Amino acid sequence: MAADSEPESEVFEITDFTTASEWERFISKVEEVLNDWKLIGNSLGKPLEKGVFTSGTWEEKSDEISFADFKFSVTHHYLVQESADKEGKDEVLEDVIPQAMQDLLCMNNDFPPRAHCLVRWYGLREFVVIAPAANKDVVLSESKCNLLLSSVSIALGNTGCQVPLFVQIHHKWRRMYVGECQGPGVRTDFEMVHLRKVPNQYTHLSGLLDIFKSKIGCPLTPLPPVSIAIRFTYVLQDWQQYFWPQQPPDIDALVGGEVGGLEFGKLPFGACEDPISELHLATTWPHLTEGIIVDNDVYSDLDPLQAPHWSVRVRKADNPQCLLGDFVTEFFKICRRKESTDEILGRSTFEEEGREIADISHALSKLTEPAPVPIHKLSVSNMVHTAKKKIRKHRGVEESPLNNDVLNTILLFLFPDAASEKPLDGTSSTDNNNPPSESEEYNLYNQFKSAPSDSLTYKLALCLCMINFYHGGLKGVAHLWQEFVLEMRFRWENNFLIPGLASGPPDLRCCLLHQKLQMLNCCIERKKARDEGRKTSTSDNVTNTYPGDAGRAGDQLGPDNLKGTEKEKGEVGKSWDSWSDSEEEFFECLSDTEELKGNGQESGKKGGPKEMANLKPEGRLCQHGKLTLLHNGEPLYIPVTQEPAPMTEDLLEEQSEVLAKLGTSAEGAHLRARMQSACLLSDMESFKAANPGCFLEDFVRWYSPRDYIEEEVIDEKGNMVLKGELSARMKIPSNMWVEAWETAKPIPARRQRRLFDDTREAEKVLHYLAVQKPADLARHLLPCVIHAAVLKVKEEESLENISSVKKIIKQIISHSSKVLHFPNPEDKKLEEIIHQITNVEAMIARARSLKAKFGTEKCEQEEEKEDLERFVSCLLEQPEVLVVGAGRGHAGKIIHKLFMNAQRLTESSDEAAGMAPPEEELKRMGSPEERRQNSMSDFPPPAGRELILRSTVPRPAPYSRALPQRMYSVLTKEDFRLAGAFSSDTSFF
Amino acid sequence: MDEDVLTTLKILIIGESGVGKSSLLLRFTDDTFDPELAATIGVDFKVKTISVDGNKAKLAIWDTAGQERFRTLTPSYYRGAQGVILVYDVTRRDTFVKLDNWLNELETYCTRNDIVNMLVGNKIDKENREVDRNEGLKFARKHSMLFIEASAKTCDGVQCAFEELVEKIIQTPGLWESENQNKGVKLSQREEVNGGGACGGYCSVL
Repeated sequence: MAADSEPESEVFEITDFTTASEWERFISKVEEVLNDWKLIGNSLGKPLEKGVFTSGTWEEKSDEISFADFKFSVTHHYLVQESADKEGKDEVLEDVIPQAMQDLLCMNNDFPPRAHCLVRWYGLREFVVIAPAANKDVVLSESKCNLLLSSVSIALGNTGCQVPLFVQIHHKWRRMYVGECQGPGVRTDFEMVHLRKVPNQYTHLSGLLDIFKSKIGCPLTPLPPVSIAIRFTYVLQDWQQYFWPQQPPDIDALVGGEVGGLEFGKLPFGACEDPISELHLATTWPHLTEGIIVDNDVYSDLDPLQAPHWSVRVRKADNPQCLLGDFVTEFFKICRRKESTDEILGRSTFEEEGREIADISHALSKLTEPAPVPIHKLSVSNMVHTAKKKIRKHRGVEESPLNNDVLNTILLFLFPDAASEKPLDGTSSTDNNNPPSESEEYNLYNQFKSAPSDSLTYKLALCLCMINFYHGGLKGVAHLWQEFVLEMRFRWENNFLIPGLASGPPDLRCCLLHQKLQMLNCCIERKKARDEGRKTSTSDNVTNTYPGDAGRAGDQLGPDNLKGTEKEKGEVGKSWDSWSDSEEEFFECLSDTEELKGNGQESGKKGGPKEMANLKPEGRLCQHGKLTLLHNGEPLYIPVTQEPAPMTEDLLEEQSEVLAKLGTSAEGAHLRARMQSACLLSDMESFKAANPGCFLEDFVRWYSPRDYIEEEVIDEKGNMVLKGELSARMKIPSNMWVEAWETAKPIPARRQRRLFDDTREAEKVLHYLAVQKPADLARHLLPCVIHAAVLKVKEEESLENISSVKKIIKQIISHSSKVLHFPNPEDKKLEEIIHQITNVEAMIARARSLKAKFGTEKCEQEEEKEDLERFVSCLLEQPEVLVVGAGRGHAGKIIHKLFMNAQRLTESSDEAAGMAPPEEELKRMGSPEERRQNSMSDFPPPAGRELILRSTVPRPAPYSRALPQRMYSVLTKEDFRLAGAFSSDTSFF
Repeated sequence: MDEDVLTTLKILIIGESGVGKSSLLLRFTDDTFDPELAATIGVDFKVKTISVDGNKAKLAIWDTAGQERFRTLTPSYYRGAQGVILVYDVTRRDTFVKLDNWLNELETYCTRNDIVNMLVGNKIDKENREVDRNEGLKFARKHSMLFIEASAKTCDGVQCAFEELVEKIIQTPGLWESENQNKGVKLSQREEVNGGGACGGYCSVL
């Protein structure tokens, strides 16, 4: 088809394409694609290095063309190479045969472990395939096949493309290709035979040699030598039982009630089935010549044990069932459930309580409503507790989701303090539970936003995971959660601290649920201190109270929002406040010894100026260094102050929103400062109480020392004197500091209005907990579960020491920390993390399986052991591993043994039980000669026989150029294929 | 104006009391200077939209009180911040020395580790400098922070400081995008991990 017009010609010649057929158009499209991809002309690359097909990178380019309305995809596959010398590219090498033809003979990359089939069959480094674009489309009829092949031939001829061009015919799964490669005066035809049944004469070398020779039809005698490469692949599927040590966990034992409390803190690990399904041993004779060996239908020299090359690859079980992965996945599924706890458990449990319904439901409605009024005075505690018992009893009769033994074990595991004799003695529980571990591993929680691995939250997550998997699924989860919430309430009502939580304000680096629990603990701590304080100082209650302005400012904007702003310095940790009568705004500070001392000293000498000079100092914490009050030289005391109000992140969010909403105007800023001045005011009052007759200057020296400026001045007498004054900004008339100072009355912290209402906060937390659905709960705790899973994987990996797994774990950690830091991570991302964890688990399980199979642990010689370990780790990471020393090497012997044992088993399965250990087996075998005789039967018949026959022969006539000829044959159980590439000289034909 | 805003960034200003945090902020947002600005109580808040490299970013800037006693309160505001401006007073060495404490605090309370930190040496208009520029530089380098010296009074470096910080934040991947915007990065990695799988033309013989 002459596509190029010649406009420069004098006579206008019209080239008419209007009548071009579909076929012509198809060919021109093929040419166009070849041109676009610059596959024209001869470019010789470097000779192929050994193994480059495996180690190098393969790339492909695709395009789509159509023949009428039938779509084909054209794909160019090529090995990426450093661009060969550029001069060579443009040179027109007349005599040189195309690269592809030369590659037919190259022996460096026979039998690549993983490659495109055309690469395997023909040893090509570059080729183009035209195949039906849609998967279901098929080119079946012979005439169509021929048409395609002719198109290819024409396109190659027209363009001068020397890259082999293939067409895929028949059904795709058959992988049938025909193709052609053209060079100057030479052509190679790629042909293929694919049969399901093998004709008998082709199962062995001699038969195949016959075909090859007849195909070549060489006119020469004697025939040029044929080089032969052979690979037999043996498959080992039948691992003996004892090679896979891991048993699935005994679930019955767990259910049976003999649950060690510890079991609940642990995650299961490992694959339930052997993650290595097959071992493939490839025995290769890379270079034989005809006549050296005999292989025909009655006799064969091809003894696998004698093969010069052995290589092994393992087939991994697809998605082996892995315990840890399943565990986490199942837990993750809860996140998508919509049911509420009540819906799952059914309300009936409460309704059947008869007479007590009213009381209990009343109590519970308290639970489920926001409780603006502190209700702790009600005897909810008792009610709930009896209700709890009843629920348990009740469930014991009917089928409850969790049986009592399991439930009790879990509760004991979560709340170990409940087991101790004096549950009331809850003071020590928190302090001892948190060994400050600074290790990187321990601090993982702050990357995952989960909770410390020794915390209650973390344990709860693990328990729920376990329950979900083994004990009643979603129902069990709902049940445990209900019990957990009841326990929380019980602890709040009865002043038992919650164990397993770091003391102090909520840790914002942890998950919200953990923060909530910490918050509850803070409330319990305060309430407890207050209640105990009341016991000790029964009659000492304060009556004259000041409704301090502190609280007022906050009330304007809703009391909740003020809490955080009123935080105070935490360093007064030693002293602890006890609170007076709970629902009043005032609290009582237990007088500590320090204060008493100060009191005694001060009470005598008083006489400062101002109105409060006669006041008795109250609420002193300690002396502030050597500072003294300005007016009278008395020591300056740091007062006992109200402790900061703990905040969880959602409260904080709310509060900062409120503060931000005030806007950026001056009034807004003023209001904001006012809102937050409660704590300043409270501190001022405490300070005034502790330092009777003090000035703002005194206060500033403690509170904001840089705002008190001291200068050395020389007084009238010529002495250097320190003279100090407030900074300019503190002196601004009626600034908020001055304002607050003027309003502040000398009231010790214990009698001030409470800045933190523990009762209300506790009820809010309890309510929050009660309304969490199992799905919410799962979302709260998923970070903990992922955290635990990562730790588990890490721990297991450290036993095996697999570097690639280490790397992946690191990736998982950094990936998860990114995902989990967002408030609502996408499901897809979470799934991906879980998937990655499962993958790592499978990898570790594979490593274990292989180590067990190859007995790396049993190996006594250090050197051999190292070699073997290296071999095993290569097996995991590389597609195919060469066995050093083939059948005679250490690893080779073990593989031989494995096959031998498997053969024994199939031969007589009865003997399986009484089989001798492999070590003795080898000894018994005796000398190598003896063994050799046996070895044929040591292996099963090869699952795959591959042969490559090569020669350089002139075709079609004796005087033609000698050109590469190649035939590849593969024979497997259900498949026989011959792939031939036969070149001929086209110069005179 | 909000429609074309690329993102909203949360920025925090911290440092010892009296180093000029509020003044810097006031200079930046209102371009004024008030020598008698009252000491901040708790936290204060200002908003400004700026444009960096054609990207508009809305800044929600939280100004904090530097007093020790307020310090138990302010860390709560570190949460979710993308940038932190740590200020010291070049005329008061003690405010420079205390920087370590502030960094500790940041480390403890910041909820993310890729947050961008900037060190600002304020009050360079004053005569009695006590902290050399090089010291500031050294400190910033040691802790991988941005560094600039500025004066809220004369306006030197203020605008520049905020712009630089925002630019840096925008350049830091994953720091400011909403979670939907950074998808599809990990795919290739995962495929590699998987290895095997179905035969896509590349396969072994068995």
